[in-house]
Amino acid sequence: MASAAQRRIKSISYAKYGYMFIAPFFLVYAFFQIWPLIYTFILSFKGNQSNCGAWVGLDNYTTIVLGQGLAPGAANIKAEFLQALGQTFILWFGNFVPQILLSLLLAVWFTDAKLKLPGKGFFKVVMYMPNIITAASVAALYVNLFGDSERYFVNSLLMHNFGMEDPIKFLSTPWPARILVMFIQTWLWFGNTMIMLMSGIMGINPSLFEAADIDGANSSQIFFRVTLPLLQPIMVYTLVTSMIGGLQMFDIPYLLRTGAQYSKNLETVAVFVYANFNNGPANVSNYGLAGAASMIIFVITAILGSITFYMNRDKDEIAKKKQRKRAEKQYKAKMKQGGLTL
Amino acid sequence: MSKLTRTLALLAVLAMSATAFTACNGGSESSNDSSSATESSADESSADESSADESSADESSDEESSGEETPSVDLTDDDPTLTIVCWNNNDLGPMMDMYGNENVKWEQSGTDGTSASTEYATFLGSGKDIDLFVAEAGWILNYITDEYALPVSELGLTKDDYKDAYQYTVDVATNENGDLMGCSWQAAAGGWAYNTDIAKEQLGIETPEDMQAAVADWDKFEETAGKLKDATGGDVYMTCSLGGMWQCYSTAIDSAWVEDGVINTATARDFAEMAKKYVDNGYVNPAIAQWDGDWFNYGVDGKCLGYFFSTWCLTQGAQLEGNCGTEGNWNIVVGPQEYFWGGSWLCVAKTINTKATAADFIRYFTVNKDTMKEYALSSGDFVNNKVAMAEIVEEKSNSNPLLGGQDQFAVLTEVADGINMSDSISKYDQSLKDSFLNTLKDEIESKDVDTVIADFVADATSKNTDLSAPEA
Amino acid sequence: MSKKDIYAQPKDNYHAKIVAKSTAVFIVCILLTLLCLVPIYILIVNATHTSEELRRNASQFFPGNALMTNINFLLEKLPEDASRTDKNTAQMYAGQFNVVKGYINSLIIAGCTTLLTVFFSAMTAYGLTVYDFKLSGPAYTFIIAVMMIPVQVSSAGFVNFMYQLNLIDSFIPLIIPAVAAPAVIFFMKSYMKSSFPLDIVEASRIDGCGEYRTFLTIALPMMKPAIAVQAIFAFVANWNNYYTQNMILKDQSKKTIPIMVSSILGFDRTPNYGVNYLCVCLSILPIVIIYFCLSKFIIAGVALGGVKE
Repeated sequence: MASAAQRRIKSISYAKYGYMFIAPFFLVYAFFQIWPLIYTFILSFKGNQSNCGAWVGLDNYTTIVLGQGLAPGAANIKAEFLQALGQTFILWFGNFVPQILLSLLLAVWFTDAKLKLPGKGFFKVVMYMPNIITAASVAALYVNLFGDSERYFVNSLLMHNFGMEDPIKFLSTPWPARILVMFIQTWLWFGNTMIMLMSGIMGINPSLFEAADIDGANSSQIFFRVTLPLLQPIMVYTLVTSMIGGLQMFDIPYLLRTGAQYSKNLETVAVFVYANFNNGPANVSNYGLAGAASMIIFVITAILGSITFYMNRDKDEIAKKKQRKRAEKQYKAKMKQGGLTL
Repeated sequence: MSKLTRTLALLAVLAMSATAFTACNGGSESSNDSSSATESSADESSADESSADESSADESSDEESSGEETPSVDLTDDDPTLTIVCWNNNDLGPMMDMYGNENVKWEQSGTDGTSASTEYATFLGSGKDIDLFVAEAGWILNYITDEYALPVSELGLTKDDYKDAYQYTVDVATNENGDLMGCSWQAAAGGWAYNTDIAKEQLGIETPEDMQAAVADWDKFEETAGKLKDATGGDVYMTCSLGGMWQCYSTAIDSAWVEDGVINTATARDFAEMAKKYVDNGYVNPAIAQWDGDWFNYGVDGKCLGYFFSTWCLTQGAQLEGNCGTEGNWNIVVGPQEYFWGGSWLCVAKTINTKATAADFIRYFTVNKDTMKEYALSSGDFVNNKVAMAEIVEEKSNSNPLLGGQDQFAVLTEVADGINMSDSISKYDQSLKDSFLNTLKDEIESKDVDTVIADFVADATSKNTDLSAPEA
Repeated sequence: MSKKDIYAQPKDNYHAKIVAKSTAVFIVCILLTLLCLVPIYILIVNATHTSEELRRNASQFFPGNALMTNINFLLEKLPEDASRTDKNTAQMYAGQFNVVKGYINSLIIAGCTTLLTVFFSAMTAYGLTVYDFKLSGPAYTFIIAVMMIPVQVSSAGFVNFMYQLNLIDSFIPLIIPAVAAPAVIFFMKSYMKSSFPLDIVEASRIDGCGEYRTFLTIALPMMKPAIAVQAIFAFVANWNNYYTQNMILKDQSKKTIPIMVSSILGFDRTPNYGVNYLCVCLSILPIVIIYFCLSKFIIAGVALGGVKE
């Protein structure tokens, strides 16, 4: 069957083209990502401020994790990092929970064929919209809405129209500011999560819903017994990617402020890193601490990432590989057998 | 496969060799041992001279004024544009207008003094064409290192040129080698500016003398604040921000933020105790951060009696005009304590290539008595020349329409004479001040003074790994 | 009672229930829509008021007529008799929020990164799918493994490194790294696996077509749908990127829209509230227009990205 040309082509090794095609990715990645990462790792073993450039071994790590180190204020550095980590978690959790609940509810409604919902397409378009707006602009927008004095929209509204006496300090009191960040994050992301979940629900075999319906299950039963269990993988995926995204939370917490200082109540680990290495000349910055904190985030991300990695594995490929291995084994076994019989 | 690994390895080696020698932005260590400063600046100048020789003939001709006074250095413009970096144009705007040279350009880095202190590091270090940069007292020490700046002697300026200047402006900008690294065009004496309408209506105070008597010291200041609160039912605050009060309170007491690597909290604690009283009594709104949107608006809105304003707030288009309007219903007095507020220095960037114009510009605003006097009269800035200021006060030639015709210089000359900050500044000052004022702003309303100070120290020591907390 | 009635009753009930639920759901959706649109509406409305009006009452619900005044202020076109304060403030705004320059810079960065991202990602995905070579497995594993590494983790080193290479204020560190986009490669590879017949490569080889030509003239056009989706997301992501751009770009003339809009937050002058709103408005305008033109397509793209399992 195979022509001469085909045979010839089969015999040529195309492997070198494979390397050529993937080379640009690896070159650029090594130069702009891997080396900076290694460099950050190296920085994490070097000193801060006046001590900058000197090797200090694990000092930055002991400072951040144990609160013991060269810096007289080591314990305070640890406290600040832990506070940032805690706040990161709070801000993430406070936006993830409402976001996933809202998105799930909407996704179920939007995919429910029984509900007569006009303008579904319009709703989807509008609800996804916040997600594409520049985060810096969103921060600026919400600062102008929720600023601390009557110069800003919400306080002005409450004071002019609802007779409130004193403005609410949304930005400078810890919890209102945090809740505002959670709200903004939810506002930004619920549309995205909703669409992801919708495509997940639509991927479920419709006959399952029909069967449940025929068996007389009501909608909440269908939701809890059919939809939710089948959505589990995509939910876990959303959870983990959202956690990793949460660790990177920077723009909104950093920019939600009036004036030049970021709010300490909103300091996340990403802000902690940035503020430590971006403090002017090297001899007043804390490059070592920034490096060590980066590495700690890296480790946390790596743990979370390995979960998604595990889930993202190309299952067919793995199955194929297993098959190939099995076949190889069998073949070898046969050869052995053959060898023996010979 | 081997090709790929080899390329990757090569790349990694290249990258490492490019960076391994310098760990953090190169010259970080150099600020500690400044002995290398002279050497490198000497190299720099000789290199500049040789390059200048090649191209001097055609370009130096347009600058006549600087030549005669500077025999020792060869000043040429290798590039026609003089670029000055600052975080705003409050001062540079009027200066450039008066100087009248189209080739002087302003470049912005940072959105206020604090952010400029961090932005400058990359901005100045990125090798772009910058000739001069403006620095504030709080962080000038970070940038008058040989990594970023050259001594002003590169422009033929010596300390002798500044014999009529206020001494502190020379002291602050002198590095450990005794080199003068920056020239200030202003002496930043501060006063207390107040709204005369509010003073008259609410307190019955008619003249600046009466106002000065009413705020002569902190006890009287507090007493007046109480009267104001009773009269207005708390609608009008005594002053706009704790930040302004702190400036007045702290600089009057000559105490350094850092002593031998230990944070000095004595003044901060005293102030926090005072601030607590003010906040509890509703004399001042702690939520207003210095320089934020509300700070600017309180004056025009008539929600505070006064501001602590330094001389550079009184220039045309600066805070006095912006915050208080142009109706001239404001006056200035010395206030509870004589104080001063930072000041700005023109420093010579390492990348300077417009030396002739730069030298001329600096002389024009920091050395030449006549032009400085003219600038003081036209802009309202308090220039860094005792003789010029004395002449203006004597001639009574200045009247500020924003202050209803009052001469602010007459009020502030004495204050300026008394400024002394030679041994009290450190490179951590801006960071510590910001840290303190932020903690104060967030916590003074709800927490006691001990907690506020403890939190401030915790914040400051976590941001500054060099510093330690004072012993309890 | 007839049989009909017995059956009719629960059915009516059922219908009523559905209608009630639909209405409730509809109302919730309307509320959420308002939640999404009202901030944008306020933004636009307030951009049409002068600072004076907003100073008196910051909660404006209806458009004013000062849009042109605000635009002129931002362009530094002030009336002759403007005060020194206004002139200085306008100069600061014009310097920090030079909207035309911002658009151009953002467009250059987002445009170039988009091209590089989709082209090289398609190329890498193609290489990994079409060719069977020893390292293709490990290479793909690597790409998935690094997909989740956040940029913040290496930023301290990145900035230092770029500083040493003298690439501060250059677009290179913002554009070239776009060649390596693991997540896009992951997406393209899954796409190729499902809808790219490998026989085509073989056929083109038989026709004597070189490997690169096969990729450029046959594979790339076939991957158009995937490329289009990823191009839009890459464009939006890079247009919106504040973190990296803010670290690298320091010169006013190089700054992009996100940096400009963040700089008006820490403004060292009496803020002009109307102009502030106008700035935010202008910063989101292009992206919102693009979005509403391509919304169907974008949402389909998000849904596609969601089906990872």
